[in-house]
Amino acid sequence: MAQQANIGELLSMLDSPMLSVRDDVTAVFKENLSSDRGPMLVNTLVDYYLETSSQPVLHILTTLQEPHDKHLLDKMNEYMGKAASRLSTLLLLGHVVRLQPSWKHKLSQAPLLPSLLKCLKVDTDVVVLTTGVLVLITMLPMIPQSGKQHLHDFFDIFGRLSSWCLKKPGHVTEIYLVHLHASVYALFHRLYGMYPCNFVSFLRSHYSMKENLETFEEVVKDFSLRLDFGWKRLETHDVVIECAKISLDPTEASYEDGYSVSHQISARFPHRSADVTASPYVDTQNSYGPAASTPYPASRLPSSNTPGQLPRTLSSPSTRLLTEPPQAALWSPSVVCGMTTPPTSPGNVPPELSHPYSKVFGTAGGKGTPLGTPATSPPPAPLCHPDDYVHISLSQATATAPKKEERADSARPCLHRQHHLPNDRGLEELSGSKGSVTLSDLPGFLGDLASEEDSIEKDKEEAAISEELSEITTADAEPLVPRGGFDSPFYRDSLPGCPRKAHSAASGAQSASVNPEPLNSSLDKPGPDTPKQAFTPIDLPCGGASESPAGSRERQPSLETSILTPSPCKIPPQRGVGFGSGQPPPYDHLFEVALPKTAHHFVSKKTEELLKKAKGNAEEDYTPSASPVEVLDRLIQQGADAHSKELSRLSLPSKSVDWTHFGGSPPSDEIRTLRNQLLLLHNQLLYERFKRQQHALRNRRLLRKVIRAAALEERNAAMKDQLKLQEKDIQIWKVSLQKEQARYSQLQEQRDTVVTQLHSQIRQLQHDREEFYNQSQELQTKLVDCRNMIAELRVELKKANSKVCHTELLLSQVSQKLSNSESVQQQMEFLNRQLLVLGEVNELYLEQLQNKHSDTTKEVEMMKAAYRKELEKNRSHVLQQSQRLDTSQKRILELESHLAKKDHLLLEQKKYLEDVKLQARGQLQAAESRYEAQKRITQMFELEILDLYGRLEKDGLLKKLEEEKTEAAEAAEERLDCCNDGCSDSAPGHSEEAAGRNGEARPLRPGGARGSSGSRGGGGGSSGGSELSTPEKPPNQRAGPFGSRWDTAAGEPSTSIPATVGSLPSSKSFLGMKARELFRNKSESQCDEDGVTISSLSETLKTELGKDSSMEAKTPLSLDGPHPSPPNVDSVGQLRIMDYNEAHHEHS
Amino acid sequence: MTEDSQRNFRSVYYEKVGFRGVEEKKSLEILLKDDRLDVEKLCTFSQRFPLPSMYRALVWKVLLVFCPFPPPWVFVGILPPHHESHAQVMTYRKEQYSDVLHALEVIRFISDATPQVEVYLHMHRLESGKLPRSPSFPLEPEDEVFLAIAKAMEEMVEDSVDCYWVTRCFVNQLNNKYRDSLPQLPKAFEQYLNLEDSRLLSHLKTCSAVSRLPYDLWFKRCFAGCLPESSLQRQLFSGAVWDKVVSGSCKILVFVAVEILLTFKIKVMALNSAEKITKFLENIPQDSSDAIVSKAIDLWHKHCGTPVHSA
Repeated sequence: MAQQANIGELLSMLDSPMLSVRDDVTAVFKENLSSDRGPMLVNTLVDYYLETSSQPVLHILTTLQEPHDKHLLDKMNEYMGKAASRLSTLLLLGHVVRLQPSWKHKLSQAPLLPSLLKCLKVDTDVVVLTTGVLVLITMLPMIPQSGKQHLHDFFDIFGRLSSWCLKKPGHVTEIYLVHLHASVYALFHRLYGMYPCNFVSFLRSHYSMKENLETFEEVVKDFSLRLDFGWKRLETHDVVIECAKISLDPTEASYEDGYSVSHQISARFPHRSADVTASPYVDTQNSYGPAASTPYPASRLPSSNTPGQLPRTLSSPSTRLLTEPPQAALWSPSVVCGMTTPPTSPGNVPPELSHPYSKVFGTAGGKGTPLGTPATSPPPAPLCHPDDYVHISLSQATATAPKKEERADSARPCLHRQHHLPNDRGLEELSGSKGSVTLSDLPGFLGDLASEEDSIEKDKEEAAISEELSEITTADAEPLVPRGGFDSPFYRDSLPGCPRKAHSAASGAQSASVNPEPLNSSLDKPGPDTPKQAFTPIDLPCGGASESPAGSRERQPSLETSILTPSPCKIPPQRGVGFGSGQPPPYDHLFEVALPKTAHHFVSKKTEELLKKAKGNAEEDYTPSASPVEVLDRLIQQGADAHSKELSRLSLPSKSVDWTHFGGSPPSDEIRTLRNQLLLLHNQLLYERFKRQQHALRNRRLLRKVIRAAALEERNAAMKDQLKLQEKDIQIWKVSLQKEQARYSQLQEQRDTVVTQLHSQIRQLQHDREEFYNQSQELQTKLVDCRNMIAELRVELKKANSKVCHTELLLSQVSQKLSNSESVQQQMEFLNRQLLVLGEVNELYLEQLQNKHSDTTKEVEMMKAAYRKELEKNRSHVLQQSQRLDTSQKRILELESHLAKKDHLLLEQKKYLEDVKLQARGQLQAAESRYEAQKRITQMFELEILDLYGRLEKDGLLKKLEEEKTEAAEAAEERLDCCNDGCSDSAPGHSEEAAGRNGEARPLRPGGARGSSGSRGGGGGSSGGSELSTPEKPPNQRAGPFGSRWDTAAGEPSTSIPATVGSLPSSKSFLGMKARELFRNKSESQCDEDGVTISSLSETLKTELGKDSSMEAKTPLSLDGPHPSPPNVDSVGQLRIMDYNEAHHEHS
Repeated sequence: MTEDSQRNFRSVYYEKVGFRGVEEKKSLEILLKDDRLDVEKLCTFSQRFPLPSMYRALVWKVLLVFCPFPPPWVFVGILPPHHESHAQVMTYRKEQYSDVLHALEVIRFISDATPQVEVYLHMHRLESGKLPRSPSFPLEPEDEVFLAIAKAMEEMVEDSVDCYWVTRCFVNQLNNKYRDSLPQLPKAFEQYLNLEDSRLLSHLKTCSAVSRLPYDLWFKRCFAGCLPESSLQRQLFSGAVWDKVVSGSCKILVFVAVEILLTFKIKVMALNSAEKITKFLENIPQDSSDAIVSKAIDLWHKHCGTPVHSA
């Protein structure tokens, strides 16, 4: 609840006069809305708005964002159900819809739409209805596709309201009805534009029963052929424009998609715009204009583009309009309906003045300026034919006259009221003037309306009416023409009213008395007119005025007048801008011209006020919320409020019979009526403004297209230039091509001649060749024949040769036979002779046989038998022999094979042997190496031993020498004893030895040494040998180091070899055997020899030993004395010792 | 062909793809199964492929010719090609070894404390008749070589008898078979280094290190002692290199030397004095030895062509 209270406070603060506070509160609300998703705040806002119709709240509500739309719509729907709040709800809805919120597509789904439709169907309040219809019209283009489901509702509403206009149920004020008419008219356009087929069919079905609507049907029946549009992909403004395009109302139709040419023209001659519309200008518009949607004829473009030519075009007779459009606009419904009559209304000119497209074209600059300064625009006018000009002005004048009349009818009551309403800002005068303005304006208005009606009507009617109207208004119209810039009917509507206002302000009754006439006239007008009235483009004058800059600027002072007209007010923006910028209005002087003091006063006051306001705005922070449009809205509303206040205060003395006379409404009602009317006008204004915005959107888009088109055109031109250049090139090439062709043909001719020559040559040559070929063939056949013959001959030759050979063979055979036969003959002769001899012998034997006949036969038989036996024997023998032969042959074969096998085996054996040899050699080598090693070892050992011995001897020698000296003495004594003992035995020997001692002692020593060792080997036995060999060796070995070769070769084979042989590892081993085999011969032979020698030696030595021993025993004695050399002494000593021992041993 | 047919048919592709040694062991086993070992084939094999260490001693024993005897005693390595006689011959070898060892012990030339390598040396000297009078006799340069090789060999061949024989024969081979070609190797080394990397050679020349490179270590000792002792790397390195030397190509030594220089090019280029270079090259880091060997073999194959089986 606190929040609720808070909101209430905030809401009240919204309307505070402090702008800053207002903005802050607005911001707070917006924040809340963005954060809060609940419906409460929106509901509160709506409630508050409906109560107070506060502008800031409206602003907030119209800018609601997506999630709140539903709440808003629901709330509005809720209020829509209540009759009391219906109107304000509708107004709110209108505000919302016109701003085109982002969620506008949701409108069709919202329950609000059906309830709106229901309201329109049911409600009886004209104000509500008018407002609702306008809202609906605004909404329709936003929901083109989804709105289809309500199509019949729309049509029903249309039907109901259109009939309303006619029937006037209840106590509906005429004044309201006008508004209703206007809105229904707009609805008709919208429906027809958007759903032509459906709508037309509806019209047909709906109006078929009513006679007075037959014309209606006729008007629309041709449209039934039109197809439905694909609205879905179009923007809202597109839909609006599309509707306008096919609109029956030429003013609306002519707006869209305008080509700048027409606009420029109209801009160029703004003051003459009315005339222009009736003259060629419209012609061009029809031909180019999208209203007729005819293709843009290129031929016309230059003419329309060049300003110089313009007058001519403009001055072309207006009749052209009637003839041309049907040709150009083939499909245009308005053409078909005969509605092509150029709108005499000036309205369709000004709107185009504001067209931005003019900038695109070159002429734009020149023509753009007049837009800003309409007062200076006249110059082109003189270019026109005076006749034309007059004609135009006249026609325009005639056209405008009826408008005023009719408009007065509708506008009068409110104007009247306004007249009495004082402005809350102390502008009583102005308010009065406003009233007077409207009053004075009425004829113009009526004229407009009439002209519109005329345009819809058939030509005859038009002519008649215009005549009629012209009569009424000539007085008014004529003086206006010379006024130049302000002679447009529009100005007559607004400005001209101002001067009149001065005198009319004073006498409201007078004006009132003036008014009834036109009103009556319009009311009195025939019934058939009324339906047309529904189609009257109520907005025409104002639409035109709003679009025209001149009009807009000039109209500012006469703002209220324009409000009277149900057109959307486009002035505010310009005015706001103008004041915002602080510029002094450039049209001030015009007012002075047009208006007397009052007007000037009004204008100056107003401007001051607005300047103040603008300054205030600027001073504060130039609040963007206060857009010029809104300012205008606010102004209107405030004006309305002021009015109502004033009215309530006033006693309304002037409300006399006049009032009730035509309105028929009581004064108390008047206030409400006026207020309502103001409201309605405001609604209409908003609606029209919305429409204009859509137009502006579309214009911008089209401008873009035009720019693009211009660029493309430029490019086209450039490409054309290029094309021309290329064509030139092509021509040059063509010329050269021709030249080349000529040359080529020449060359070909030459070539042809050459070719023919060559051909003939070829032919000749071919002929020759054929001849030659034939000849050669003949020759070849001959050759072949010859070859055949030769072959045959050869064959024959061969045959002959063979025959010869054969015969030779035969000959040799024959000769052989001959020789044979000769030999046979000889034999035969010999045999014959033998035969003869044998015959003789036979005879002799026969004789003998006869003699010894008996014995011989037996003998012969025996012999025969013997022979036979012998033969058989021989035969069997032969058989045996042959058999033996066979067997032996077989045997030979076998043996041969055996031999081969054996050979093979032998080879294998050899191989094997080789292998074995190799193996053996390997082993042997190992053994050999071992042997070698052993040899080395022994050598080393020997060396070592010798070394040791050497050392030993070195030590022992000194000792021995000493010992020997002592021993020698002893030995001498002993020897003497021995000698005495043994003298008997060895005395002769001793003597011999002693005798030969000197001579033999040296040669014997080696031999003796040998002998001693040999004797040991032979007789000493193996047991002693090994033992004794060690002491024995030293002498040998001592020789070794001096010369081992001598040692082995000459030295002692007898001693060393047995030792080595014996020392072989083992005689059983293979190596041992081998080694033995290898060494056998040598060793055996040596052994044998040695054996012999040894034995002999031993024998001799044995004998000698005795001598030796005795001798040696002596020698020391002999040698002791002299001591020739130490080595000798050594050896001798050694030998002696050994010998001594041995001898001693043997002897013992 | 016989061993080819038994070999895995994929072996060709293995080699193409770059897997080495997948099929080699198998084919070597096939070769070793022959009753009479084909020495030539074994030679070619060990020239082409690295020998598996388990067969290395056997193959070497077959390939190494130890006896420099005149004609009747040609051929024959430590083991003859006949399997039959292997046992016999091996006993001979063993006996010979023990005999010689015994003899040396008898004359108290060696004792139990004598290092095995010196034992080998004394035995070798004894067998070649060059045993000095005393064990403390100063060593000849060739003895130093022997010792180095024996030391390396000891790591590869476990059995002392085998080791002795193999070492002896290896040294013999160096001294006899390669007597003429070994002095040529430094020249060949320069030539190939020039081909591979002339900048490096010129650097060495500017440092005047060319003549002072450890040629003795490389070519006389066959890189024995080039790597730190008793490392697996060294075993692999020497094994792979000596495979080629044993099977008859001493040129591999040149390529190993070249590859060592190429591998340590950056370091060598950084060193400016001949002493430093020599010092560095005498003790190269062991971690890249594998790569060096394989690259050296590639290099060798590249310059001298892959040895093709002559059979």
